[in-house]
Amino acid sequence: MKKFFALFLAVLMIATCAATLSACKKDSGTIKIGLSGPLTGAAAVYGKGVANAAQLAVDEINEAGGINGIKLELKAMDDANDKTKVQANYAALVDWGMQVSLGCVTTQPALEFKTLSKDDNVFFMTPSASADAVRAEANGYQMCFADKKQGVAAANYVNGLNLTKIGVFYQSDIDYSAGIYQEFRNNLNTGIEVEVASFTEQTKASFESQVATLSDCTFIFMPIYYAEASLFMTQAAAVTTDIETYYGCDGLDGLDTVLDLTTIPQAITMLTHFKADAENAKSFVQKYTAKYGTDTLNQFGASAYDCVYAIVGALKAAIEAGKEVTAETSASDMCDILKEQLNGGYTYTGAVTGSGTVQWTTEGFVNKDALVHVLKEATAQ
Amino acid sequence: MINFLTALINGLSSGGTYAIIAIGYTMVYGIAKMLNFAHGDIIMVGGYAMFSTLMLMGHPIPALAVAVVFCVILGVCVERFAYRPLRGASPLAVLITAIGVSMLLQSVAQVVFGTAPKMPTQLQIAGAVNIGKLAINKSTILTLSVTVVLMVVLTLFVKRSKIGRAMVAVSEDRGAAQLMGINTNAIIAITFGIGSALAAVAAYLMLMKAPSLTNTLGAMPGIKAFTAAVIGGIGSIPGAMLGGILLGIIECLALSVPVLAPFTEAIEFAVLIVILLVKPAGLLGKARREKV
Repeated sequence: MKKFFALFLAVLMIATCAATLSACKKDSGTIKIGLSGPLTGAAAVYGKGVANAAQLAVDEINEAGGINGIKLELKAMDDANDKTKVQANYAALVDWGMQVSLGCVTTQPALEFKTLSKDDNVFFMTPSASADAVRAEANGYQMCFADKKQGVAAANYVNGLNLTKIGVFYQSDIDYSAGIYQEFRNNLNTGIEVEVASFTEQTKASFESQVATLSDCTFIFMPIYYAEASLFMTQAAAVTTDIETYYGCDGLDGLDTVLDLTTIPQAITMLTHFKADAENAKSFVQKYTAKYGTDTLNQFGASAYDCVYAIVGALKAAIEAGKEVTAETSASDMCDILKEQLNGGYTYTGAVTGSGTVQWTTEGFVNKDALVHVLKEATAQ
Repeated sequence: MINFLTALINGLSSGGTYAIIAIGYTMVYGIAKMLNFAHGDIIMVGGYAMFSTLMLMGHPIPALAVAVVFCVILGVCVERFAYRPLRGASPLAVLITAIGVSMLLQSVAQVVFGTAPKMPTQLQIAGAVNIGKLAINKSTILTLSVTVVLMVVLTLFVKRSKIGRAMVAVSEDRGAAQLMGINTNAIIAITFGIGSALAAVAAYLMLMKAPSLTNTLGAMPGIKAFTAAVIGGIGSIPGAMLGGILLGIIECLALSVPVLAPFTEAIEFAVLIVILLVKPAGLLGKARREKV
């Protein structure tokens, strides 16, 4: 009898424990956010910036009570900027229970991520993969400008400068550069005379010819990456030219890592969506550097921080509009809810990128202010 | 007109660099009867050798000297350990080995120096000489002078010196040369050494104009120079010079016309095809009669 009683008590104890545990689990349900980015390798500084800033946003939101009590959980996986690693990461994130995603950090992996997630209808908002194809239709959104939108923004800026002649230097065999260039030309005032020089992957060993072609322009727009830009600027600095200003897009980010900017006499400016000293970015920069230092502080991280807040903001707006969002909402349902919000005119305020307000067009492309970042003023020659 | 002249002079200068690289290809092909596809990567190694020396000493001349010595040693070692064991093997096996060496050098450079471009700006030669409205870069003048001097020295070396004539003999008929008492292995090693020294000089000329160094620095110029060697007639030293300069001029003229610029390589290789259709052995190549 004693034995039976003991057994009964034991069973009762286990049952109570199990009941408490399962109840616990229900209470602490989370919305799971997945991310695949280059945490190692040459692009690690971008990936780490994104993972850190996203975690920062998640922690802040959880501390403030989550989404009506539902907490967030972030899982970042390493793809080393190699698109062949994205498939395994995606599968692992789906197994983990990912409901929304920040996609990938860099463009090629992001396109792979899109292919994989399209049929599953998993919503992702990438902080930095800028190719138009990442957005085009379906489930992918961006916090950065899409490539071609950068062309429009750059043309608007140049139109406002009252120049009669400009030079353009672009790479004709990559989508990023050729796409921006095309859109830039389409939106540039017809009164502005344009001198064009280009290069390809095979002719980028030296830009002597291109410098000669553009040497009589005072303003040069260069929608290219920093490695090639640094070579052009160095070669142009070695000869006498009329060039006074270089203006580029986000590809110039990182220029100061390979080039001593003081050796370039010209002013260098770029179109960007994040400036660390802007009023709306200050508090983010302060919080980020306090936690992770300055090494990985960049526009990628700022953009990821905005992604998390924008997703949460859109979900809250959906709840207010009567939609049901819980920790159990499936990835596909979540995707439909978010798409409806973003394509339906949801406005995200309090952004640390742009001038603080971000919207998406009815086609889902990001719409916010472009900022002009002065990397370096002109030095007297 | 000024634009055309500028493009022409730039073409002569980059053509000179191609010519120096092409001579390395053509000599090795003429004497060892193999395509050394790792030749372009020797240029890259020379570039990194120069960059490393500059970090330590900060002056271009010792950097160039170190790069030449390093490249010669590397070239001879590659020949000794990768190609000599395959002497007599099928040409395909040697070709694949050469591609393997090329990849090995590129990968090692990436592991050691990383992927971000290095900018050895100390090598850069600034300024231009003005003749009327025409501005000729000092780097262009230096490239042209170095090319001309090297071509003269090399031609004299091959025609007049004992080793040079031994090289010609080995390229004509290796078996007969060996019977005449020429150490063919040594001659082939010397050829690789000369080719690699030229590659180091080419690295200097390239970085002097465009100081941006990555592990693929030599890949595309290597292929262009190989094309130049084929245009000129592979195996012929004057042919390599002619082919290199021709290719450089075509390239710079195409680049100076905005509409043609995106199609520069297409134009270059189309010229190669046309020349090979008209003269299958290249411009200065000797047509070999096959005995059946």
